[in-house]
Amino acid sequence: MSGKYLDIFLREAEEHLTSLQQGVLRLEKEPDNKVLIHELLRNAHTLKGSARMLGFEGVSNVAHRLEDLLKEMEEGVREVDESATDVLLRGSDAISRLVGAMAKGEPPPFLVDEFLAALDRGEVAGMDVTASPGTEEEGLGDTVRARVRTLDSMVNLLGELIINKKRLENRVNDLKSLVRSTGGSPSFRELGQFHRDLEEDVLYLDYIIQELHGEAMALRMLPLRTITDGFQRLVRDLSRAQGKEVELVIDGEGIELDRVLLESLKPMFLHMLTNAVDHGIEPPDVRKMHGKKGKAAITISARHEGDSVQIVVRDDGRGMDPDRIKQAALRRGVIDKEEAELLRDDEVIYLTLRPGFSTSETVTDVSGRGVGLDVVQKNLERVKGTLSIRSAVGAGTEITLKLPMSLSVVEALLVGCSGESYAIPVSYVLETIKVRSEDIVTVGGKEVVSLRGVTVPLVSLAVLFGLPEQKTLLETGKVTAVVLRLREQLLACTVDRHLGSGEIVVKQLGSQMKKVTFIFGATILGDGNPALILNVPDLFAHAEGTTTTGFRQAFAEQEATRVRGRLLVVDDSITTRTMERSILVSHGYQVEVAISGEDALEKVAGFQFDLVVSDVEMPGINGFELARRLRGMENYRDVPIIIVSSLSRDEHKRQALDAGAQAYIVKGSFDQGTLLDTVESLIG
Amino acid sequence: MGEENRAGYNIDGILREMRDEYWQGLDAVEEEAEEQLECITFSLGGETYAFETIYAAEVLRIPRLVKIPKVQELIVGVFNLRGEIVAAMDIRPLLGLPQSTFGPAGRIIVVKGEKFNTGILVESVKGVTALPLDSFEVAVKSLSDAQRDYLRGQLQLPDGLVILLDIKRLLGAPEIVVNHG
Repeated sequence: MSGKYLDIFLREAEEHLTSLQQGVLRLEKEPDNKVLIHELLRNAHTLKGSARMLGFEGVSNVAHRLEDLLKEMEEGVREVDESATDVLLRGSDAISRLVGAMAKGEPPPFLVDEFLAALDRGEVAGMDVTASPGTEEEGLGDTVRARVRTLDSMVNLLGELIINKKRLENRVNDLKSLVRSTGGSPSFRELGQFHRDLEEDVLYLDYIIQELHGEAMALRMLPLRTITDGFQRLVRDLSRAQGKEVELVIDGEGIELDRVLLESLKPMFLHMLTNAVDHGIEPPDVRKMHGKKGKAAITISARHEGDSVQIVVRDDGRGMDPDRIKQAALRRGVIDKEEAELLRDDEVIYLTLRPGFSTSETVTDVSGRGVGLDVVQKNLERVKGTLSIRSAVGAGTEITLKLPMSLSVVEALLVGCSGESYAIPVSYVLETIKVRSEDIVTVGGKEVVSLRGVTVPLVSLAVLFGLPEQKTLLETGKVTAVVLRLREQLLACTVDRHLGSGEIVVKQLGSQMKKVTFIFGATILGDGNPALILNVPDLFAHAEGTTTTGFRQAFAEQEATRVRGRLLVVDDSITTRTMERSILVSHGYQVEVAISGEDALEKVAGFQFDLVVSDVEMPGINGFELARRLRGMENYRDVPIIIVSSLSRDEHKRQALDAGAQAYIVKGSFDQGTLLDTVESLIG
Repeated sequence: MGEENRAGYNIDGILREMRDEYWQGLDAVEEEAEEQLECITFSLGGETYAFETIYAAEVLRIPRLVKIPKVQELIVGVFNLRGEIVAAMDIRPLLGLPQSTFGPAGRIIVVKGEKFNTGILVESVKGVTALPLDSFEVAVKSLSDAQRDYLRGQLQLPDGLVILLDIKRLLGAPEIVVNHG
């Protein structure tokens, strides 16, 4: 059979199935609604007919059975009760699965005859024909349905563009003849007229482009309804399975969002809803005991808020208990004791967003699959949305998602860094500040600045990206930093300068660059060159890993008028190397690094260092051997050597001293004080 | 019409000539079609490389390339190809070739792959030539197996050696994709 007909059938079947499912759920609430029953009858009938036309016997047979049942209901022969609606739902599920298999070109996933037989016997509950919720990964497809009117309007605007182009061509000719007729020196009046004409054309061009852009963007938008349609059913089935009573109210289903956004929203909603039913909502008797209505309520409400859409998912369940969350987080090693003590209650709630966290004590069939809100969080970051949680113990939980309306155009701050321009979505930007060298403080080896009393970690975008450091900034003694906000966290990121903000068109990097750390996409600047759009959550994630921003160090380097000594740091680990180097440099020492013993030997041959700091375990020559060889060299017989190692046994220390080292520092107890003190005591 | 007649225009004659040329052209193509491979030739690491023109979409002067942080050295940067963001690659490391800077003769050959378009940086573009496929022999360059993987063979021409790239394999290589998962 031709694929074209199958496509049409699949789309039609999907529509009828959706209205069947929706209708049956409504029927449960309005059992006497004869109009509704008739509508459902029509759905089943059409499905049956179309399926039969294409020879899909299974679908046709199940639809036929539903049709019979609905007819009995319409005639009043059969009561509209729970068991009847269950049969209808099971039936439409079965069709849905048959159609789904068809779409993928797979054989029917179950035996239709057996299913119908079971349906006749009334054994509907035991039949597992539904795919488990959340596992179906259906996209919104890569086709767009557009109103003919919209297309006409776009074609019309394109026509206007062509006319406008002709007008601009005319202007070029005008200018040419103006120059020719006036012998190269047109009068002010003539030039003024030309200027006005040209300006008018450009203004009109701008108008057409805006209109066209708007129309094209609107084609990407779909109502929230597109994804919430199945939610009633999901909540109904879930709560029933757990003996809970839940009513789902969806508000603002008509609000339109970019289709790509909607696609990524669906799994998030599924997750939040299952979470709410599973963990949030109490069984009816417990609720009544607490003076609540036995039937719980979950609401999803969406509304516009400025340029973004805000969606709130609220339940009136038991709420999140900060103490329990803290305990669970500690137990699972998500946080340590120190961190636990520092966290405020409203911060504790956000621990549920961390990977590896799941509060459900027992793993249930429904949501406790070891994935938690962190999945929601991750998906949200991908679409540049934010998530906030409010919860009161005993009263319920409220999760607020804030989403951009469209992914295609965002408001962004442009910054310059090491010769490149980067765009940062303003939704993440708190402010830009000037940081003076004296504002930078080192806390625990990391650099921070104080912003109105709040300590904010400072990182250099250039260092983070491995780009050459901005030396020019140091001359003024000030650096520009963009303060970024991600949920409750702040991060100050130094850049060369900020270049203003504006709307940018977001472009993907294409499938050669599927996922690039730090980069969300790119935009095209006025000069025609691309600028990368930064992925702010990545900046936060990697800022924690960097040992130093290099600024305080650079400032210090600059300030140190005299070099206290020339040191060679030998370590095969880049982290250790960089850390040691930055500590020493910031205290006025000139530091060279070597990545191995061999490298060190090469470097000492060409330069006289005042002190050598070396690791022990390295590929090739180890630290002990290096010390021994240095001792054998005439220039290095008396140069102090410090061994820094993770080997902590006395035997190793003795070995180091035997090899000729002056001092031995164990990495475990390694902090900048020890190293500095040791260096200072050896060479001052 | 009158004008053309006055100018001694003989439209029938011209048409006949064109027809003859066309048929001759067709015969020529038919004779050679089986063994000729139309290739774009260019210089990399001082050597001459080639791949089939059907993969080459266009040749550009090297525009400003915007560096992508923390990606493999191979991806030199991205550029704007009429609104599409395309990567520019220096494939010389994959072929074990030395990397000198691209001079004023440097170009980007935009290549249409199955999954994406990409740009290959070359030291210069020499031209488009039909190469006799049958005369290609196995590339005998002293290369590692990994490097040899990207070569289909080599051909000794009067003006030097031409090495045929396996462009299809190159475009499918995981080495050229950035996926930080």
